[in-house]
Order: sequence, then C-alpha cells, then structure tokens
Amino acid sequence: MVTPALLHAALWIGLPIIAAVYLAFTSYDVLTAPRFVGLANFRDMLDDAMFRKSIVNTVIYTFFTVPFGMLLGLLLALALDRGLRARGVFRTAIFLPQVTATVAIALVWLWIYNPRNGLFNTLLGLFGIEGPAWLASTSWAMPSVILVGIWQGIGMKMLIYLAALQNLPKDLYEAASVDGASPVRQFFSITLPLLKPATFFVLITSLISAFQSFDQIYILTDGGPAGSTTMMTYEIYKSAFREFRVGYACAQSLVLFVLLMGFTLVNRRIMGGTRGHD
Amino acid sequence: MELTRRSLLAALGAGTAAALTGCGAGTDAGGKADGPAEGEITLLTPIYEGADGKQLLEGKILKEFRKKHPDVKVNVDYTNYTQLNEKITTALAGGLLPDVLMMGVGWIPPFAAKKVLAELPESLAAKYDYEERVLEPSRYQGKLYALPTVMATRLVAYRKDHFAAAGIKKPPASLHELRAMAKELTKGDRMGIDPFSIDLRQCWETFLYANGATLFNADGTKTAFTGARGVESLQFFKDLQKDGSADYTKKTDGDAGATTNLQLGKASMMMTGSGLWKQLQEQSPDLIEKDLIGAFVLRGRKPAMLTGGTLVCQSARTQHAAAAQALVAHLAAPDNVLAAAAQRETVPGITSLRSSSYVKSNKLVDFSVRNLKDACAEGGTPAWMEIREKIKPTLEPAVVSGKSAAAAIAELGELADAAISRL
Repeated sequence: MVTPALLHAALWIGLPIIAAVYLAFTSYDVLTAPRFVGLANFRDMLDDAMFRKSIVNTVIYTFFTVPFGMLLGLLLALALDRGLRARGVFRTAIFLPQVTATVAIALVWLWIYNPRNGLFNTLLGLFGIEGPAWLASTSWAMPSVILVGIWQGIGMKMLIYLAALQNLPKDLYEAASVDGASPVRQFFSITLPLLKPATFFVLITSLISAFQSFDQIYILTDGGPAGSTTMMTYEIYKSAFREFRVGYACAQSLVLFVLLMGFTLVNRRIMGGTRGHD
Repeated sequence: MELTRRSLLAALGAGTAAALTGCGAGTDAGGKADGPAEGEITLLTPIYEGADGKQLLEGKILKEFRKKHPDVKVNVDYTNYTQLNEKITTALAGGLLPDVLMMGVGWIPPFAAKKVLAELPESLAAKYDYEERVLEPSRYQGKLYALPTVMATRLVAYRKDHFAAAGIKKPPASLHELRAMAKELTKGDRMGIDPFSIDLRQCWETFLYANGATLFNADGTKTAFTGARGVESLQFFKDLQKDGSADYTKKTDGDAGATTNLQLGKASMMMTGSGLWKQLQEQSPDLIEKDLIGAFVLRGRKPAMLTGGTLVCQSARTQHAAAAQALVAHLAAPDNVLAAAAQRETVPGITSLRSSSYVKSNKLVDFSVRNLKDACAEGGTPAWMEIREKIKPTLEPAVVSGKSAAAAIAELGELADAAISRL
C-alpha cells in the first residue's frame, strides 16, 4: 500500500536531497560536469561576507515576523472565534494574502512604499511629514520587508489557531466560570496551555516559512540596498541561477537545512512538541 | 517485485549516480552547419516582449524566415533579462538548451569558454557593416560567437533650461567639471545630477571607463579596476552625495516606466538610456516640443558610453546547426534589427541603419549612434556571470553608508579574483 508513496518520496524528495548533499562538495556550474572539491564550498562560505550578512538578516527577519505574526494571528483568531458580525468576511479578508500570489502582493506593496506617490508617504504628507525612501534606505528597507512578511503570514496562523480554539473543550470554561475565573484568567490558565500543540505547529511552520522567504525580497528590494534585506534563500538563488555556482548553492542550502533542523529541535525540546498540555 | 529497504536504497543509489553523472555533462555533438537548413529548433529570447514584440517576431520576422527556410520550424521561448539566467541554467541542467539564444553583452566569454556556444563563421561578421566596437562583445579569444542585434547605451541627459538658467553653455569636459556643475545646479529639492536611476553596476562601469580604467586585462584573466582610478570612480559618487548634488534614495526606476527626476525637474542631469526618449514622448511631450532635453557622453580622462545590448548566438549542442545558424543570420539582418530596435527604443548596431527614419526620430538613439566610437562594453572574462552579480551589492555600501570607496573596491577585487581563480 505504501509502495507508491514511498517510491514517489524516494524519487522526488530522497534523490534531490542526496544529489544536493553530493553537489555541496563539488564545484558544479551546470556547464561542465561536477568536480569534487571537498570542503572548499564551506570554506568559501566563511569568507563570503554577503552570505554571513544574509544569515543575520534572515534571523532578524524571523525574529520579528514569527512572534509578531503569531501574536496577531492568535488575537485575530480569538476575535473571530467569538460571535463577531460578518466574521466570514473578516476570515476571508485576513486569509486572502495567504492565497494571493506573492508577486501580486509585492507589486501592491511596491506602490504603497513608493517614496514619491505611494500610500504611506502620501498619508505622512498630510501631516507635513516627509516620508523616507522605504525600500531604498538601509534603515527602513528591512522593517518594510518585515511588515509585508507579518501581514502576509497572519492568515495561516489565524486559521490554525481558530481551528484549535474551536476544538477546545467547552466544559473546562464552564467549570472555570462556575469557580469565578475571569476571562483573562481563563485565557492564561486554559486557552493558552491547551493551544500549546497548535502553537508549536505554528511556530515551526512559521520559522521554516520565514527562513525560506524569497518572493518579497526578489520583487521588493532585490536584496538591497547594500545587502540590507538579502536573505539566505535569496543568496542561494543568486549563487545557483545568476552566478552559475550550483555546488556552492547546494552547500549554502545545507547550512540553511542544518539551521532549520537545529531551531526545530531546540523548539521541540523547549515546548515539548505537539503533545498536549501535561 | 517486492520493495525492500535494500532494493529502495539500491534504486536510489542508481538514480543518484545517473543524475549526478548526467549533470552538466552535455554533449557537444552538434549537427553540421554546412548541411541543409531543416528541422525543428527553439529560440530563447529576452527581447520581443509583450504583444507587440510577439507580433513583430512571429508575425513578421519568423514569417519571413519561414519563407526562406520552409523546412525549419521555430519554437519561441520568451523570457526577460531578469529570468534569462534561470532559463539558461535550467535548460543546461535539463539538457534542453535552445538551439538559438539571445543574450547580453558580456555573456559571450563565460558561455563560449565552457563550449556552450558554437563558433560562427567569420563571413557572418562581414555580412553587415558593423562598427568594430559593436562587434567586439560578440567575440571570445578572437573567434566570433554571436552577432549583435540591438544595443542599449548609457549616456547623460540634461535639462537645457536648467543649464541656461545657470549660465552653463556646454556639457562638462571632465569629471571635475561635472562635479562643479552638479553642485551649481543643485537648488532646493533639485539634484544637480541623478546618476543612480540606472543600475549601479552599469553606472559605476561608465564612470570607471570614463576615468580611463577597465574592468579586466585584455584576456580577462586579471582584474584591472582595483587601482586608484577604480577607487576614484566610486569615490565620485560619494563626493556628489557629500556635495548634496546627488541622492541615492531619490533614484527613480525609469526602466519600469516611472517618471524620472529629469522629467519632473528634480534633477538637472541624469544617467539614462536611449529608452528615455519614448518615455518623454509619452509622459512629457512638452519637454521635447520646447527642446529642453540634451545629451552628452560622460567624459573624464576619456569619453565613455557604456553599451550593452542583445546578441544572438547558436548553441554548440544543437542538432540542427544549419537551421540555427540561418536563424542567427536572419535575426541579425538589418531589417529585423531595425524593427527590434524600434520596438524596444534601442540602438541598431549596423552602420547602414544610421540614416533610417527611426534613428532620426529618436534623438537619444541618434545621439548614441553618432557616438558609438566612444562605446565601451562590460564583461571581458569567462568569470563575468559571477562577478557581475557581486558588483552592485559590494559597491552599494560605499554609496549608501559609511564604507570607504577603497574598501569596497578592494572587496570587489578580491571577489573577482576568487571568481577568476575558480575558472
């Protein structure tokens, strides 16, 4: 029964992973056959200031998009879990960015951030404030990209939290109410602990998603200015497809994989995985 | 057959070995160019964009090709310059490299050195009257690998009214004069010059060449920009910003159709390309009617007009070499070059087209054509594909933050040397 799925996974997941690991130890430019170079790609990475910068940028981006996105996702889920009027419309509106092509979203944000006639600077202009060149400024480019990342990711987080909230046992809340627990107390003593498996899932998927952010960087900033928004995935893409250094890109991908694996294991240790509240 | 862990691992191993040994080991067993032009071939092109471009290519250019070569069927793979690398990379990895490829200036040495491109007969270079500077980027180690189609020049456009108001009679004859003029023309929120509304890589290269330096030595084996002149050319941008005559954060994306600082009167001079003319016609026709836009070639120790463009070449792996070569020659023929140039508002590279009505109707194209003697091209090393991607992110910190020009150039030099050493 599992053979077709196993074969599919072996062919489309196993084989590329093995190939990527092998190519990470080669010099491969697509034009000529791979040549084994041992750890040279990893040594090059140590000297690659832009890749180091991309790691820092990715961590900063993740540090802001994941917790803020999760917090907003949870708050929105709590709001929509209650008897809000037209909540179907709100749910759709919040989830829409998740299913809209990032390219289309990024183009809209490009306009919003346009320093001359974009939405933000036009609004700031009404108050006599001259807005910055959001995407061309080394100070503002990263916060601008982070804002897009948070906005785009909220929908999925909200949806998962909402599903989890709707499955929480109602009798616990009834018992807490009888005992005189306030809604705030109920949230911290019942809701939040029971949401732990969902939180772990949201955290891990958000971490992976943040570490793999690519489209918005590609469209909004091209990694600039001065590499201030370049991310690991963007550097991997540039190495492979613009510089024809596929072996090096595979080595960079391995580093990304190890980092993600490390984060996941640490989180699992801290949060106890997807097990429910003990 | 029962699937066991051992058989699965064996299959995986065999598959991996096949995949890895297949990687990049493309065959060079192309067909012969002296046979009859026949077969089904593919053209990969980053130009002929949009409905108009498609109509031009398929409704006119390829229709005529089909009349001449009825036994050849051409399939077109459209892309743009942003995604051209990806297309080529994936095509090479998949062993499906198109028979005819159109690529940019500077791209020939990397692909010719790796034997991806077929050498073209020298007779093709003599078929049309090219200026040698135009043909130069089509060669690698003296051999012809491509033919030029359309070119894109980088020049300085300026506001004649701003010059007149400041009492400036003629364009600057040196970078020193340019800086002084830019300072003089800066008023309120108007910049004296906007050099940054073109790609920073191309902008710096233009100033580098104008400063009398080059990117690489003649055979492309050593970097040549790390000396004082290379540093000066980058320092110039810092000096302009220090003077308040230029501002990196106020650049406009003219290539994307945004109204430029020059049109809005927010810059008196601007680095730009010949495509600006069409933009002026559509967005600011009054500037043309009143004859308020002029152009000059950037001049430092020498005049320099960076000239990019699109070259057409033949894959070394094509099985239909005669058909592919015939298409290369057809796309580079004067009528087709002129049509493509007019569609993209670019510069035709063939001398006989200088007097065409299209060239005469676009003042910036006409200006570019008349100054092709000052043309200089980027690239020149087989490691160019890697180095070109490093230039902007490495130099940008010097322009937008406190990094020194010397440190940025030194870093770029190290990256370029490392790329060349890997060849």
